[in-house]
Amino acid sequence: MSTCPRCQAEENKIRTEHKGLNAKGELVWTIFNCESCAFTWRDSEPASTIDYNLREEFFRVDPEKPYPVIMPPAQYK
Amino acid sequence: MSDKNVPLSDNALKVAKRIGSLRDFLEFLKENNQCINWSEEVYPEPDIRNVAVAAGRDSMNGPAVIFDNIAGYPGKKMVLGVHGSFTNIALLLGHPKGTTIKELFYDIISRWGADKPLLDFIEQDKAPVNENRLTNNFNLYELLPLYRINEYDGGFYIGKANVVSRDPRDPDNFGKQNVGIYRIQVQAPGEFTLLSVPAHDMGRHIMAAEQEGVPLRISVMLGNHPAMCMFAATPIGYDESEFAYASQMMGSPMRLTKSGNGMDILADSEMVIEAELMNGVRSLEGPFGEFPGSYSGVRKIPRFKVTAISHRNDPIFENIYIGRGWTEHDTLIGLNTSAPIYAALIKDFPEVVAVNALYQHGLTGIISVKNRFAGFAKSVAMRALGTPHGTMYLKNLIMVDDDVDPFDLNEVMWALSTRTRAEDTIVIPNMPMIPIDPAAEVAGKGHRLIIDATSFMPPDKLGGDSKIVTPPAGPEIDAIAKVIQLLQNGGKS
Repeated sequence: MSTCPRCQAEENKIRTEHKGLNAKGELVWTIFNCESCAFTWRDSEPASTIDYNLREEFFRVDPEKPYPVIMPPAQYK
Repeated sequence: MSDKNVPLSDNALKVAKRIGSLRDFLEFLKENNQCINWSEEVYPEPDIRNVAVAAGRDSMNGPAVIFDNIAGYPGKKMVLGVHGSFTNIALLLGHPKGTTIKELFYDIISRWGADKPLLDFIEQDKAPVNENRLTNNFNLYELLPLYRINEYDGGFYIGKANVVSRDPRDPDNFGKQNVGIYRIQVQAPGEFTLLSVPAHDMGRHIMAAEQEGVPLRISVMLGNHPAMCMFAATPIGYDESEFAYASQMMGSPMRLTKSGNGMDILADSEMVIEAELMNGVRSLEGPFGEFPGSYSGVRKIPRFKVTAISHRNDPIFENIYIGRGWTEHDTLIGLNTSAPIYAALIKDFPEVVAVNALYQHGLTGIISVKNRFAGFAKSVAMRALGTPHGTMYLKNLIMVDDDVDPFDLNEVMWALSTRTRAEDTIVIPNMPMIPIDPAAEVAGKGHRLIIDATSFMPPDKLGGDSKIVTPPAGPEIDAIAKVIQLLQNGGKS
């Protein structure tokens, strides 16, 4: 897994979360999480969800963008 | 608090006594052919989503679906659609299959308003939810068969958890202890984000904890008594207890115990995740396919850290399909959204007959009312907009006469066709609106529409020449319709 399917963060930002095994103990899939954009995915998902080039552009995330903050903590200070 | 004596039928009480947990209800649904096992192997994506959508097509009679062969999750069980059809809700309330939505509405209304708690407290070590307890090395991805609900969701969501929290400024107040359903995105093996807003009780608890600089501990209940889920999603007063409402509605005690972090929790839930707010932390969350049928965008929202997990042996993970309607979300909360609006209106306007707020949590509502004088329905509509739920949700309101069943869209369309003048529509601009309404001018603000489709009456001069055909109606005709249905089904309901 080289980059994040949603924000194209590099491999060093990708965390391996969990490996799903079958009853015989064989690997079935792996779950990853991107520390840049918080996307979580499984490598067995359809390509339209986990291939950056096949995903709808609308759903790309730029971690540098100022996304709205729900109940901003600063407002209490 | 009211100790209104709720008159429940013998069958309703019998069912209530029998059902103490999700497991009991699934067994009961199976006996009534309203729960199936999907035992062919499914991949978490996209198979679970595909089966969920197909099963949810029949909003009247669709079954709950238990998945017991999920690739990568040997031995784990997951269930969807427990509240996915009105027949499942009818069975919970002690009614037979074939019960109409209108009948269910009046039953829930008859049970409404009583919140004297019927609660049994169970010792922690005797509560089934505590059969297994984890205090470190949490991995939610391993414990729960998690999956992506809709294809562009930002991650794997827990969509039907009942979250218990206490008011950090009044932690001993039982009524202010809140039980609500909030979307939870797993963000790490032992961390998750939870979306709430200041208008929610939970949002108030989060803000209070951060303002005071004190910890906010919560208990996330998964796989719960089916009445609990209905009330966790119901807009009731801030200091009213969802546990009390749920127990009174069922007419049978709920079994509670204490979680490890001091919340009251259901003793028979499948799993309880104890967690603590990470004060001041906000993480990227979403998108998530929400109940209006569109994705809500990416936001930075509060994050929680898991502190302990209790679960029954072989826990069943209960989740929900939510997205473009009709979905389980609409059936789960539809009647319980309608009831409190009706209960508020009837106090001032006894002419109100029924409220249908089934559509997208009440973004469109239909109110049946007997006009006291010309224009009366419009005044009732204004009052509905001022109810707690109406303030944020009732966007489009259709007012119909008392002879129109608001749950029968054929009748509603007849009223619109024959009783509406274009000038009987009112638009109120720039009103508050839930932020996830895709039609809002800006998130959080939008316009309201009232269509008065009630008939004309003096001093209105219109409509004097038309006389309405009155086909036979009432309980006798309703009974005949049921006989016809029975005959059509070969004598089986």
